Amino acid sequence: MSPHILVVDDDDGIRVLYQTELAGEGYQVTVVDSGRTALAAVSERQFAVIILDIDMPDMSGIEALTHLRKASPETPVILNTAYSIYKQDFQSWLADAYVMKSSDLEPLKKKIKELIDSVEHKCQP
Amino acid sequence: MNSVTTMPATTHETSVPVDLEYLSEGLDQLGIGLLAFDQDERLTYSNQSAIDMVALDNADSDERPHLVQMAGVFGSSLSSAVEEVRQGSSRSVRHGLHCSNQHGRHMLIDLSCLPFCSMNNDSCVIALLHDVRQRHQFSDDTKFLRQELQILTDVAAALSSSSELVQILKVILTGATAAQGLGFNRAFLFLYQQGTNELIGHMALGPVSAEEAGNIWKDLDAMRLSLEELLDSNQSDTGERLDAITDLITDFRVRLDDESAIGRACHDSSWLNLAISDDTDNLTSAFAQQLNTDKLALVPMVSKGNLMGLLAADNQITGRPISDEAVQLLQVLANQAAVAMERARLYDNQLERSRELERTNQLLAESQDQIIKFEKMSVIGELTSAIAHELRNPLTVIGGFANLMLKSTLPDENREYLNIISSEIRRAETVLDQVLDFSRASKGENHPIDFSGLVRRSLDLLKSRLARRELPMFLSQASEPLTVFGNSDQLSHAVYQFLKLVAEELTPPGEAEVRTELRDGQALMLIKIRRPDHEREQVRRTLERIITQNRSSQRLTILVAGETIRYHGGNFGIACGDDNLPSLYIELPLIKEQPSEPTHTGG
Repeated sequence: MSPHILVVDDDDGIRVLYQTELAGEGYQVTVVDSGRTALAAVSERQFAVIILDIDMPDMSGIEALTHLRKASPETPVILNTAYSIYKQDFQSWLADAYVMKSSDLEPLKKKIKELIDSVEHKCQP
Repeated sequence: MNSVTTMPATTHETSVPVDLEYLSEGLDQLGIGLLAFDQDERLTYSNQSAIDMVALDNADSDERPHLVQMAGVFGSSLSSAVEEVRQGSSRSVRHGLHCSNQHGRHMLIDLSCLPFCSMNNDSCVIALLHDVRQRHQFSDDTKFLRQELQILTDVAAALSSSSELVQILKVILTGATAAQGLGFNRAFLFLYQQGTNELIGHMALGPVSAEEAGNIWKDLDAMRLSLEELLDSNQSDTGERLDAITDLITDFRVRLDDESAIGRACHDSSWLNLAISDDTDNLTSAFAQQLNTDKLALVPMVSKGNLMGLLAADNQITGRPISDEAVQLLQVLANQAAVAMERARLYDNQLERSRELERTNQLLAESQDQIIKFEKMSVIGELTSAIAHELRNPLTVIGGFANLMLKSTLPDENREYLNIISSEIRRAETVLDQVLDFSRASKGENHPIDFSGLVRRSLDLLKSRLARRELPMFLSQASEPLTVFGNSDQLSHAVYQFLKLVAEELTPPGEAEVRTELRDGQALMLIKIRRPDHEREQVRRTLERIITQNRSSQRLTILVAGETIRYHGGNFGIACGDDNLPSLYIELPLIKEQPSEPTHTGG
């Protein structure tokens, strides 16, 4: 069964792009537009990786990250944002990776694969 | 030589009675002695001046002295003159009689004897005694006092027109040593250091040898300058020759103690006319020995009760004795000097405070300008950050979909268009990265920055990212600290961008020397390009193209980096040094006062 990825971003275009691209890579993809809906999604099922935008209305990605870590401590989270400055926010260190948004999605896809491989490696007896 | 004048008698001249009491009172005021003799040549009257001259101890006794008794003072001159008048002469005069009384008073007497008639109509002879030596002495004293007053007036005028310590000290030494002044052969000036209780040799004036003295004094004499002119004159060759003696006391220190004569003189503010003997204490003897003399005048310089220094003077060359009067006059000179020195010190303090205030005002004005600039930068940073973020998402989506579509099967024409879209999106994202870097840098605070360190770290960062095909760069760091003030992130970003552009635009052969140095109060970074001679013009054109933003892909980078440098009060451009190597330079003003240690920004 292919890994299931949760994409959290308030931008419609980003959600459609990531869903299309990642589905094309063979992943199952769920997209949500806020931190709150992400928490709801996590409470319903287990994801292989969460891709989380930071600058969102209602609840910021950094705040959502704290809650997601409590709700699903084993799930790797990739912070994905237009701002490199959040790298300096120590709360962002809770994330497993930090990838800047770019039209070149290769770095993001590479990081997703790394994290999934890493989790699978840990789960092997 | 004595001279004698005898006038023939005229009739009735002696018949007018005169009040001797009244006459003698006036004569006393003039210092003229009056003696009156009767027919028996006994003294019938004398005024106080005459009593002092003749020293008649028994003037008030019952027995009146006889003319003969005064031969001990006047020899036979008085007797013969009286006799001549008694014989009928109207006046008998003796000039320049050298006389001495029994109290040892030496006199030069002008004697006049006249016939006289008392109020009782008794006929007698009076003798008028005038000690002309007193008159000469008075005249000499007056002349001497006038000279002293003139010296002090000239020195005071010179001191009042000078507020510089060195000039004041020269005036004092000149006043003490000039022939038109106090005329000492040599004068030495020591300044007092309160912290260590020491006198420190500072300046001296006088010839170094007798031979030199002869030459210098001859030259000075030929110049025929008044003291005022001498004090006003600038350093001449003669002045420099006289200054050479300063070497004798340079770095010579005397720690004062109350056991020594010199220490007491300084602490009691009293002058000394010193002759070194076996009884002289060691400190004072050593002091005199340092000056190669054994007789000297020492006068402390005191202002408002505070010891400021010591003036020493001697006649070592001529061996002329030093009188107490000369030392006293030197003390008056020293007192004037001390006041002038105190005034100079206050003036210097005032001047320094005034300069400090000026510097502070200037710093304040510059700081205000900087604050305004930094505020603007901060606002611009926030604005660009917001715009960049808003642009980032659409660019990501457009570019992402273009890339996605490129993976599908497309007609060649459409593939070409999508490639263009993808490439342009990537370029736009690069520009956004730079804008966001600048925006991030704008949020930092301003601190003193070690400029050489900042350049080194920017270069290290660049080297780690350079591909092998780019121009190799090496650093020559300034030996002195170059501290500038500003936002280290912003400046690092600007310096990094300049280095990066040069490295990317110029390829081997050759190398680039990145050099930091202090020049004209500015911290300077030079990127010197070492290439074969025939390529220098091409290098210069390339550098020119970089800073004039001729390439659209670099325009924003150079614009932001350049503005960052300018906002920090600096500048950048192309230069060609003495070695004729074209170079790109960045200059930034050095910090004037460092509020804290320079910030060492992380790599």
